[in-house]
Amino acid sequence: MARYGMLINTKKCVGCFACRVACQMANGLQSDESFIHFKEEETGVYPNVHAEVVPVQCMHCENAPCQQVCPTHATYTTDSGVVLVDENKCIGCKYCMAACPYGVRIAIKETGVIEKCRFCWDGSEVGNPPRCVNTCISGARVFGDLDDPNSDISQEIAATNARPLASHLTDAKIYYVR
Amino acid sequence: MVWGSMIAWYLFLAGASAGAFLTSAFVEAKYPDSTVMRIAGRLIAPVFLGIGLLMLMLDAEAGLHNPLRFFYLIMNPGSVMTLGVYCICVFFPVALAAAVLEVLKRPVPKWLTWTGIVSAFCVAAYTGFLLGVVKACPLWNNAILPILFVVSALSAGLAVTSLVGLILDRKRFEQMWLVKKGHVILSAVEMVVLFTMLVIVSSGSIEGAASVQSLLTGEYAPMFWGGLVLLGLVAPFAIEGYPVFITRKVETSTTSMVVSVIGESGVLVGGFLLRLLVIMAALPVMYL
Ligand code: SF4
Repeated sequence: MARYGMLINTKKCVGCFACRVACQMANGLQSDESFIHFKEEETGVYPNVHAEVVPVQCMHCENAPCQQVCPTHATYTTDSGVVLVDENKCIGCKYCMAACPYGVRIAIKETGVIEKCRFCWDGSEVGNPPRCVNTCISGARVFGDLDDPNSDISQEIAATNARPLASHLTDAKIYYVR
Repeated sequence: MVWGSMIAWYLFLAGASAGAFLTSAFVEAKYPDSTVMRIAGRLIAPVFLGIGLLMLMLDAEAGLHNPLRFFYLIMNPGSVMTLGVYCICVFFPVALAAAVLEVLKRPVPKWLTWTGIVSAFCVAAYTGFLLGVVKACPLWNNAILPILFVVSALSAGLAVTSLVGLILDRKRFEQMWLVKKGHVILSAVEMVVLFTMLVIVSSGSIEGAASVQSLLTGEYAPMFWGGLVLLGLVAPFAIEGYPVFITRKVETSTTSMVVSVIGESGVLVGGFLLRLLVIMAALPVMYL
């Protein structure tokens, strides 16, 4: 079984938001709802400063904290490691929003359901690749099977030494080059 | 923050409901002839919880549109929210039954009261654990918060029941030393527990320190010091403590009654503000 993950190279990301717009279109979101959030980080002391744009979305954590607290089992993980929300079970209690350390869950205004990135899951499979990946103008995103050592993503992780954003918080499946 | 005043109301009302039930059980055992306060506590418990649950459902929008989905709430025993639902499934019917029996002027059986006592404690405690297990928020994720919520729940339940006793049955109420003493002690304990929590949380992490900072000196400081500490803890402690521990005499003047009403109401305002502030001031951990 595959275990899907993504790599985001912030050194290649230009912060154009194309992935976010593509995601909104693919998932029928309003312009003020989005599964991809952009964080801006500044590090260093003048004159040696470094600015970085970090796109953040659901990390599809192993033992996802959002899933643990979900009282209705609306949040679940597929065999392929994708964390999903069953919108027919969600009551909108927002417990998962509080539990997610990355703050990437949002309430869909029309339904009140709490949603997030689902790797463009179409009901039975992930989008291959998800929209954000093939929309990215600079090739900053790579998607694939983390368990297959020959997949593009595994190769890229090895080559760039990519890591999850905060391994002390959760075991995430989105890797970053920073 | 993800939650707002609706959830603060729910947490407060659920706690006060449990506290009111416990107060009525205590009054029944220790002061059998003080019927007014017993009845008050028994009626307040289901009413407060009912209003609280309504708030909860109004806040859960997806469920509000499809009410049958609320049945799924029992599905995940690994979630504190589900455990809370189990507690409420016992406490609410018991509290309701006790209230109905009281209205029908029938005796409430002992086993019912005891079931109510145990489940009331569970309801009061779960509201604290609900937030306490959220690792992403250091202000919540500590062992002291559930204790703080239980103490505050008892205090609020006692206050709302006392308020009724004070107004409708003052002569008896002024004689109930155990209740009055308990009330003062609860306020004191709550102050200590709150202080302990803030110290521990602010030393635990940067985010925790920032949360505590926002309460003590930041944007929530007026509400924290004025509403929670002064009105909700210090004033009731002084107002109730003075006659109980210093003058030790039964008050009969109207002034003392007005002052007592302010004290009891202060406890209620403080109980609500405690939950509101805990919800609002919680900052999530940083991950970048
Ligand atoms: S990133 Fe947040 S929403 Fe996604 S799996 Fe982890 S906890 Fe859940």
